[in-house]
Amino acid sequence: MSSVIHGGDLAILLYFLVLNSFYALLLVLSIPEIWEQTRLAEDEDFQRLMQSDALPPITILVPAHNESATIEASVTAILTLEYRSFEIIVVNDGSKDDTLERLRHAFDLYEVPRTYPETIATKALQALYRSRTRTRLLVIDKENGGKADSLNAAINASRFPLVIAVDADTLIEPDALLRLTRPFLLGHQIAAVGGTVRVANGCTVKDGRVIDARVPRRFLPGVQVVEYLRAFLFGRLGWNRLGGSLVISGAFGLFRKEYLHAIGGYRRTSIVEDLDLVVRLHRYLRQRKIRYEIPFIPDPVAWTEVPESGRILSRQRERWHRGLVAAMWQYKGMLFNPRYGRVGLIAMPFFTFGEMLAPLIEVVGYVITAGGLLLGAVNANFALLFVLVAWGYGMLLSLWAVVLEEVSFRRYRRFGDLLRLIIYATLENFGYRQRTVWWRLKAFWSVFRQKHAWGEMVRKGFETAGKQVVEPAKARRTDAQR
Amino acid sequence: MTSLQFLWVVAVAQGVLLVALIILIILNRWFRVRRSARLQPRRQELNAVMQRWAMGQASAAEVERALARLPVPLAIDALVTSSARVPGERWQDLSRVLANQWWTRVVRTNNRSARWWKRLECARFLSVAATPHDIGRVLRLLRDHHPAVQIAAATTLERLTSPVLVTAALDRLPLLGPTVQAYYASALKRARPAVVRHLQQLLRRPEDPRLPRLIEFAGRLEHADLREPFTALATHRDPEVRSQVARALGKYPHAESIAALRLLAQDRVWAVRAQVVRSLGMIADPATVPLVRDALRDGEWWVRLRAGLALTRFGAAGRNVLLAVEVGAHPPSRDMARLVLGLTPQALAEYAA
Repeated sequence: MSSVIHGGDLAILLYFLVLNSFYALLLVLSIPEIWEQTRLAEDEDFQRLMQSDALPPITILVPAHNESATIEASVTAILTLEYRSFEIIVVNDGSKDDTLERLRHAFDLYEVPRTYPETIATKALQALYRSRTRTRLLVIDKENGGKADSLNAAINASRFPLVIAVDADTLIEPDALLRLTRPFLLGHQIAAVGGTVRVANGCTVKDGRVIDARVPRRFLPGVQVVEYLRAFLFGRLGWNRLGGSLVISGAFGLFRKEYLHAIGGYRRTSIVEDLDLVVRLHRYLRQRKIRYEIPFIPDPVAWTEVPESGRILSRQRERWHRGLVAAMWQYKGMLFNPRYGRVGLIAMPFFTFGEMLAPLIEVVGYVITAGGLLLGAVNANFALLFVLVAWGYGMLLSLWAVVLEEVSFRRYRRFGDLLRLIIYATLENFGYRQRTVWWRLKAFWSVFRQKHAWGEMVRKGFETAGKQVVEPAKARRTDAQR
Repeated sequence: MTSLQFLWVVAVAQGVLLVALIILIILNRWFRVRRSARLQPRRQELNAVMQRWAMGQASAAEVERALARLPVPLAIDALVTSSARVPGERWQDLSRVLANQWWTRVVRTNNRSARWWKRLECARFLSVAATPHDIGRVLRLLRDHHPAVQIAAATTLERLTSPVLVTAALDRLPLLGPTVQAYYASALKRARPAVVRHLQQLLRRPEDPRLPRLIEFAGRLEHADLREPFTALATHRDPEVRSQVARALGKYPHAESIAALRLLAQDRVWAVRAQVVRSLGMIADPATVPLVRDALRDGEWWVRLRAGLALTRFGAAGRNVLLAVEVGAHPPSRDMARLVLGLTPQALAEYAA
């Protein structure tokens, strides 16, 4: 028994070393990346580019299902983005509330015939509408088929070579589109680009714009600010240098439409459609030996509301992990497959062993250590110190994300907000991290039971941050942080 | 060293790093706040001097002195921001004054820097303050491999009239990424006479792989002297060239353009045929209505759509054709006519864009 515990301990120690060395590598790689990105973000004369006809036209895809509470404000905010050539396609995905009526009333919609072929199969379209007041707007009313189906319907209708999927509850900064096209301006062979998603809770929102970025005072949304910073500024920037991440946020990612057509658009049966899409994109491009990049750039920002209650957060995290497990299983053929280059040899193994299996291994580690302590097979001082070192490393990574934020974009101007960020980064590992491990563990059980549900998100509406309070609405939630 | 001791070392190192990071975060914020407070009055002073200079109430030397008090990147930013508000002659005065300053000499030497952001800084500076002595530097920056530098260097074409630079930029144009290419094209359009002369030569090289991009750019210029080379390329063996020719000819209403389009209307590649009907719609010569009507029976959906849309530009004659086809016997063209007739003027305008 003692040798089993020692063996288990050794394996977990090895896993800990390899994984954290990889995180250290990402950390190091994120430094030149943020340096370069900040230089580009600051030095480019965006106004001059906006006045030229050099910008590629973009179609903004907005799936909406029961978004009556926020749809008008969201579409209005998107329509006022600083970009020369774009269109918006809102897809009313069989809403049971008055989403379509709100749109019809707000934008003076009139029915038009369909003028494009159905390249990707979708649920039946009921009608297409254009606006008498906003020429850039097209509204598709269709039978309910889920978010992926709505996005596919919008891709079919889009006229432009670049498409961006935006959640109806996401607030995009006015210059975000312009910034997001930077890799295309720079002439790289770009298949897709991801931007940063930040937490809107606690911020002051006016006319669909975040006018004062704040770190929430409540612990749960506050600690998610640190999580988002870590996921975007540190993780994904590091991945840029390693051949691209597997994840572009479903709430804010720009794609080359021809590739989306080639892979058949979003997969309707996937649990997290954004992860599934990017993995398939990698697979398609690698199989055909097409040179491409899927970079992340940190300065285009979209703001999203995160769950404030543990119950809803647990559902969200459980679903994210369920989606990760399903995707890794579905595309297991890419794992350690040299045909897929760095995606098969680095990204897939990291997401499988470093992300998907991490909660399982962490719990096994706790159990073995506790068992070893009970049986006297493990030195108590060693065990305690090891756990502290593991948590301390987590704190280091979170604080590093705060450092990157501070040396680059500094969205949180108040000193109090900065202190709160430091406090949340420090406290995250005590209690919150263990809760997320438990939520992610439950995902394995759900996958085992083949559960396929979205869960519901009670949304307060962004205006809560200001003076008005929008009536709570129940809506499907997409994954901003993923 | 035992494993426990090793772990202690790691834990202590980690603790030190954690504290160092927290101090770094706080110090960084403090330093930046102080720096910003220090520089703000200098920025305001520069803005005020710039405004007086724009109104002719301050000399270029005063502007130069205010610029020299700011860090170089901020001074360049200020120059670029103000460039659009001040007439060209005044900029030439300022450029001459700046040419002798030590910091501008340093910025100029950065055109050979190994670091792209230094070269970008140089290109941005030259885009507003280049003198004829800088042509060699701008040439080098136009040929830079970093697109951000290329874009900034192309902007110099607006300030510096030089056939050498125009020729170099035009030669680079087809080799650039699509968006940088479009930016170069917009900058080159302002230097039209030199561009047209060089383009005429380039369009006479049928084997040049850059031909499709050059035709695309030449089409945007809408210069009468370029029509002839286009029509000569209508029989080129590369479908991409033929497609670009068909597209460009729409902007040149002329009997020879229509003759070339008639020839291209029989092309085996549908993308060429689609561009042909689009261009025929732009020219809207009533004699070509039967040709566009025939395209409504094309096997390719996109050609039929383009033909339907083109017919709406022929006025009553085109509309009558659509109405007749709408009740005709050929189902695909009937459907297309119905679709196009159902479009609102706004939707038609959007398709035309």
